[in-house]
Formats: sequence, structure tokens, C-alpha cells
Amino acid sequence: MSNKAVKNLFIYGSLFFFVIFLALTFDTMGKLDKRAPEITEDVNAGKMAWHKYDCIGCHTIFGNGSYFAPDMTKTAEKKPKEYLKKFLMDPKAVNPQASMPKLGISSEEADKLIAFLEWTSKVDTNGWPPKPILATAAGVGGKELTAGQKTYQSLGCSACHMINGIGGTTAPELTYVGGKRDRAWLTGHFKNPSAYVPNSAMPAYGNLKEKELNDLTDYMLTLKQEGKK
Amino acid sequence: MTIKHESQKIAQHFYTFAVLLFLVQVLVGIIAAVQFIWPDFFILNFNTIRTLHINALVVWLLVGFMGATYYVVSEESETELWSLPLAKFQFWATVVTITTVVLGYIIMGLYPQANILVFGTRLLNEGREYIEAPRWADVLIVISVLLFLLNCAMTVLKTKKWTGIQGVLLGGLVFLALMYLPGMMYAKSMVKDQFWWWWVVHLWVEGAWEIIAGALLAFMLMKTIGAKREVVEKWMYVEVGLVLFTGILGTGHHYYWIGTPEYWLWVGGIFSSLEPIPLLLMVWNAFRTTRETRNVENKVGLYYTVANAIFNFVGAGLWGIIHTLPQVNKWTHGTQITTAHGHLAFYGAYVLLVMAMIYVTLPAIRGVKEFNPSRAFQSFWWMTISMVFIVLTITGAGMVQTYMERLMGLDYVAVKANYNLWFWIFRAIFGVGFLIGVGIFVVDYFKLGKEPATARA
Repeated sequence: MSNKAVKNLFIYGSLFFFVIFLALTFDTMGKLDKRAPEITEDVNAGKMAWHKYDCIGCHTIFGNGSYFAPDMTKTAEKKPKEYLKKFLMDPKAVNPQASMPKLGISSEEADKLIAFLEWTSKVDTNGWPPKPILATAAGVGGKELTAGQKTYQSLGCSACHMINGIGGTTAPELTYVGGKRDRAWLTGHFKNPSAYVPNSAMPAYGNLKEKELNDLTDYMLTLKQEGKK
Repeated sequence: MTIKHESQKIAQHFYTFAVLLFLVQVLVGIIAAVQFIWPDFFILNFNTIRTLHINALVVWLLVGFMGATYYVVSEESETELWSLPLAKFQFWATVVTITTVVLGYIIMGLYPQANILVFGTRLLNEGREYIEAPRWADVLIVISVLLFLLNCAMTVLKTKKWTGIQGVLLGGLVFLALMYLPGMMYAKSMVKDQFWWWWVVHLWVEGAWEIIAGALLAFMLMKTIGAKREVVEKWMYVEVGLVLFTGILGTGHHYYWIGTPEYWLWVGGIFSSLEPIPLLLMVWNAFRTTRETRNVENKVGLYYTVANAIFNFVGAGLWGIIHTLPQVNKWTHGTQITTAHGHLAFYGAYVLLVMAMIYVTLPAIRGVKEFNPSRAFQSFWWMTISMVFIVLTITGAGMVQTYMERLMGLDYVAVKANYNLWFWIFRAIFGVGFLIGVGIFVVDYFKLGKEPATARA
């Protein structure tokens, strides 16, 4: 082929692919609103706050951004609102180990940010992020779970707490909690956490049935170091 | 080696600014690396440091492209630039704008509340990765780029010598300028926000910038070994054609998980898997053309040119394709695997490209026939070995993260702070190695041609 022919192939071929890209873009734009909840004023105000504090400078959202701090896409689905609000306003007061600095996020801004994160958690992302296969397998396979373990799972406690290496790091680890706290403390704490731990960001679970509270407490009391029973 | 036209010297203004920003980029990069181990290290938080790290990178590469383009357009058109004063004005306007933006980032880092809303846009930082520059700065940057393109176009029109190289180079730059625009509108939906944002980011680095790289590769092969124009231009058309045939629809690999329809899994998976082909072709071209000639006029320039082609393929091509299939990307998306790819791709494709252009054109600008190449080789090996190890440590961290966090379900912070700790420590150490390489390069840049060629022999 002559240079001129190759040049024409480059120009018209590129245009051809760009036109296809434009057509797909047009089609996508028509479909996006159906794949996400409605954007309220609060959601938009939350997005503005997200930009204001340059959250993307540390976090990812939909997996895009910086890789210094956790992805925020499904955060609102996993963590209680009460926790998120307190954390956003003063991270280290909630979790002294937190890397996130206190940015001066106001109470109102925190509410809007949570509304925004609730919106992102409901967007249809083609199944991303996928459920961790090994943790899922550990939950369903093997021996039958106790009633307390089932309650622990259904309430999503592991989003913040860790037991034997599985779970979040934003709240105290519970692997040996049964050796540290007694029944009265645990039950009372479930009903009103901040009465036991000042500044606690954990929501109160006073609305649980008596049986569920007892099951959960029983489970906590089994969490002890081997040989220290 | 001497320049043919006095106004080609303007390239040096741009190179100097680029080289200084490169040094800044790597210095803040080391601060960022230490913050991975010790988050409270330094007065500015990670987000500000990272913004400086990636913005300095983008800007110094763009400024490097501008300097290189002024040189090439004048050379190819066989005439002086249309307006040297305009080029100088455009240079200083760019320097002032960029410096102001950087000061704004630092102020925002110290006082987050200073990032107020003015006319519906943020004053200091737009809070969008890579395009953090506030809207007022976007407008000034666009004006600067338009003045630059006007100057180049008028120069070409003076003699009407439309060579393939400058046609493709200017075409790539016009495409680059156009693709900056989708980043300048606000979308209420985060999905739409990211959709248009990828037009800027992907169609720059895997579109417009690769076109510029293809054109400059052809130019450098002609300059360093006297390759024939007809041959390198044909290669160039094939390369940049394949870049766009695969790269435009390859944008789809960013549309897997952000709330966009499922068909992008197919479009992105297929086309982005083909994206390494033109990059491999550039390597083949560089080797084949080099083998055909024994007359090397600029050894260092050729060295960097060939290294650029190789690491463009390895960093952008190979480190990209490993996680581009949706089946893989579902698990690796948003992990350190992406960081590893980003580092090697930018180093291989664009850092080495601008450095190669500097070594190909600077001796002529400084009017020297020969220069001592030892520092250029030293800095190349310090930087390349360090970068390869930086990328290997981050790749290791990404594999651990993918396995432990994504597959096993461990907490993000637990994996980052405990299991990946040593990867971060090694990464910071190799970062210092990279800084040493950059330091040698900066010294060489300022001394090249200003000392006797045999001084260090």
C-alpha cells in the first residue's frame, strides 16, 4: 500500500470507530437513569461535598480514584448511618486508628454525603464489587451456625467488627471479647452503647427481641482465648 | 548537530519547566509513598500530595510535548515559527497559571474550607482525579493550548509543507485539546460524571497521547539514525491507526462497573485486549529501523527512543492487558494492580518519550556536536531499575489485596496496614532510587553542552 492509502485508512478508519463510540454513548446515556435511583437535591448536595473535600484524593468510588483508602460505592449499605455521620465529622474520635483527618465536615454536609453514598450503593454496577467467595463459602459451608452467629451475620456486625481476622477494622475487634466483658455489660451495651463507651458511634440495638439479644450475648461470651476459659 | 531555525530554541523554555516539575512530581511521590506507611507524615494530607503528584506529571508531560512540537513543526515546515513572542507569552502564561493552581491546592490542603463555591464551581480544587484544576484554570489552559495550536498551524501554513509527521502530531494535539472539554461540565449523576471523565482520561492517554508518541517516534528515528521518511511515516500511520481502532472502543474497559450497561463488558473486553498490538508494532518498528542503519548520529537519543518503545509496550500494553478482561477486572478493579499499571505505563510511554525528545533535540539547541553520555545512561538505569521494582512491589501488593480483600473478604484497612506493609516500605526505598536517577538527569539537563565533551572520560 502507498503511504497515501495507509494515511486514508488511518483517517477514515478512526472516524468509523469514533462514530460507533458516539452511537454507543448516545444509547448508554438513554439507559443510565433507569439503572440508578432518582437524584434528589440531597444526593446532589452530597456529591458537591464529595468534590469539595477532594474525597477522591484518597478513596475510590465505583472503583475509580485514589487507592489509599477504602472504596465508597457500597459503604452506606454496609455501615450504620449513625456511625458514618460521627466518623465523617471526626474520624479519630470514633476510631483512634483511623488515617482520615478531621476535615471540618459539618453535620449538614455529613447528612448530604450519606444521602449521596446511599444513592451510589443502589446503582446497578453489573455486580461489582463481587461478594468475596471464600468468606461467603465459610459462612454457608461446614457446621451449622448458632442462633447468635446467625443474628451477628444478619445484622451485618462484621462490616465494622472483626472476629478471627474476618470483618471490618473501624470498630473494636471482638475475637476475645468474651474474656473481657460479662453478660450484663454486653446486653446493656447492645441496648445503649454510648452509656458504656463514651463517644461510641455504634447504633443502639434496644429494639431487638429479648431472644436475639440473649443469643448475641451468648455468642460474644464464647469468644475467648484458648486455654483461658 | 545544530538547529536550522533560531525559534526552535523556544523548546528549551518548555523543557526546563518540564524537568523542574518532574523533580517536584518525584519528590511529592516519595512523600506519598511514606504516607502509605505512616499516614500522618507531613503537613499536607495524602489527597493533596497525590493531587500534586499526578497533576505535576500530566502538566510536565504536556509542557514537554509543547516544547517538542514547536521544535518539530519549525523543522518540518523548514521555517521560523509564525510568532516567537506569542510562543514566549504562551509559555509564561502557562507557567503562571500552573503555579497559581499549585498554590491553590496547597491552600486547600491546609484549609479545606477555603475550597468555596464561586459561580457554581470550586475555587481551588474541583475534586475530580487528574482534572482537579478549578474551572477558571481550565479556561486559561484551553486558551493557552489554542494559542499554541494557532502558532503551530500558522507556521505550517507559511510554507505549506504538510509532512505526515507534523500532520499526525498536530492532529493528535487537536484531538487532545478537544478531549479536554468533556471534563469541563458538571453532572449531577456520579455515573455520568465518571462516564465523561473517562473521555478525558482514557482518550488522552490511550488515544491522543499515543498518536503524539507515534509521530514523535517517527521523527526521532529520522533524527537519530537517519531513517527514511517514507518508511517511518508508513509505520507511523499503521501504528496510530491501530491505536485509535482499538483505543476508542477500548474506553469500554472503564465502563464495566460504574453503572453503565452490560454490553460494555463485551465492547471493552474485546477492543482493549487488542490495544497492545500497535504498541508492539512500535517496538518492532524501532528495532527493525535501527538494524537497517549503521549510522547512529545520537547514541543517547536512540537509546531513549528504543527504551520508550519497549516500556510503552510493557507498561501500557502488558501491564494493562493482564487485568483488562471483565472476568479478571471484576476482582482487580480499584486495587493496587491499577496503580502498578499506571506507574509503568506513564513511565514507559510518556516519561521516556519526553526524555527521548529532550536528548534528541537538546544537543542541537545547545549547538554541540557531541556530549558526554555517561550521566544520561546512569540516570536511565537508576530510573528504570527503580521503576521496575516499584512496579513489582505494587503489583505484589495488588495481588495480595485482590486475594485477601476481594476473594477472602478481609477488611481493606487490615490488608493495607498489615499484609502489605513491607511492599510499601520497599516501594518507598525504590522511590528514593528513582529520585537519584531523576537528580542525575536534572544535572545532566542543565550541564549538557556546557562542559567539554571529554570532561568525565
